[in-house]
Amino acid sequence: MEYLFSPDNWEWLWTENNARFLLEAFLINLEIAVIAIVIALAIGLVLALLSLSTVAPVRLLAKGWVDLFRNIPLIFLILYLALSLPESIKQGWEENSPGFLPDVLRGQLVLAGIMGLVLYNSAVLAEIMRAGILSLDRGQREAATALGLSYRDQMRHVILPQGLRRMVPATVSQLITLNKDTTLVSIIAIQEVVRSGRVLSQTAGNPFVGGGDVQAPILQVMLFIGLLFVITNYGLSRLSKRLEVRESRRTAGVRPVTVSGVEDQAIPGTR
Amino acid sequence: MIEVLTEHSDEFASGLWVTTRLVLASFVIALVLGTVVAALRVAPSRWLQRLGALYVEIFRNLPLLVLLFISFAGLRRAGVGIGPWTAGIASLGIYTSAYVAEALRSGVFSVSRGQVEASLSLGFTQAQTLRQIVLPQAFRTVIPPLGSIAIAMVKNSAIVGASLLALPDLLKQARIVNSNTFQTTESFFWAAVGYMLLTVAVTVLFRTLESRYAIRR
Repeated sequence: MEYLFSPDNWEWLWTENNARFLLEAFLINLEIAVIAIVIALAIGLVLALLSLSTVAPVRLLAKGWVDLFRNIPLIFLILYLALSLPESIKQGWEENSPGFLPDVLRGQLVLAGIMGLVLYNSAVLAEIMRAGILSLDRGQREAATALGLSYRDQMRHVILPQGLRRMVPATVSQLITLNKDTTLVSIIAIQEVVRSGRVLSQTAGNPFVGGGDVQAPILQVMLFIGLLFVITNYGLSRLSKRLEVRESRRTAGVRPVTVSGVEDQAIPGTR
Repeated sequence: MIEVLTEHSDEFASGLWVTTRLVLASFVIALVLGTVVAALRVAPSRWLQRLGALYVEIFRNLPLLVLLFISFAGLRRAGVGIGPWTAGIASLGIYTSAYVAEALRSGVFSVSRGQVEASLSLGFTQAQTLRQIVLPQAFRTVIPPLGSIAIAMVKNSAIVGASLLALPDLLKQARIVNSNTFQTTESFFWAAVGYMLLTVAVTVLFRTLESRYAIRR
């Protein structure tokens, strides 16, 4: 306890620009998260629709794909991709990635990190969306068909707006998980916040590598990084709670869905 | 394809065994801590409820990797050196306990208020009511979500092995085999099969538990 709260061990936070160094690295995490979320949501929706297709081979293929990628550990995917992506693709990313991205995100291995996050999360999100769509009463689909709506119009105007609304809590939980999982790319040497924290704890106080005389103990550095995540993710979950309350006023009686294999489920209080 | 498995079956088997033990030990810790925290969250005292909520919010929103760094490298630097096994099991267990607590809490709420009132009016204390009436039913209601949590735990265990801890789990063994053979796809493929075996085993186990004990509400 003494060690934990001793001001000497926290001095690094306000010396030089250590705090800024970590905050900027944290921004990289958030950027990776946003990129991965946008792509994973889009692919997830496509996979969900494919896995509900009436064409058996398409359905089976999509389901197999989803089950494969959501049952493999994410860190496993990231490591595998980092090791096995062909050089040409990695270099192609380094040379052709969009210029508005920060330099850290244009490195060779970033593609492996983002691809891993997208592959895993799109599969999980697809399963959540599929469950959301399946939870709708069959009458909705039948009524839409009886009204003469085409498949596209049924999906766009009847099924998806209701089905996706039910999975908002589960989706936000998964997005929070994704946000935490961005730290995993530190293992393939992408300079995000955990990696930066380790670098900081090794360089600060070490004059040989250009550090000052203030040490940054890894315990305190990691506690600070953890706090950043707790604050951001707590904010996200509050936001989703408010959305949920607003939505439940608009659509009374709609229950959130649960999906097997998703660690944080929106479990209804009484079923 | 198969040669990588047959020639390195020892590595894969020991990795699978390490991952299994890691998951089992952590799950026990997660269940115990999760039950305590869920009990806090439905305790009659406001402050205990807040304490439980704080615990859940912290450990559900903290990346597991950061928790691992705190518990291993961080504590070691602070002079409280704990071994990789202790740090790994404790981190994974504590991380998961927040999810277990949330699942159990919803299970507690699914037990009807009348039962609690009946139990209290029969002279049971609050603690007795929770332990003997509410929790047994809550557990049986949340078997499916607990299964999801256990599957997520199998996957999260790979993070423990991939971080700096010296824990030779399945993923780490796959990396070792890969660096010896340079057959990346093959070594990772067999590790993936290992993880699938574990998740399927967990699924079957919880399906069985569910069909035997679950209360459907």
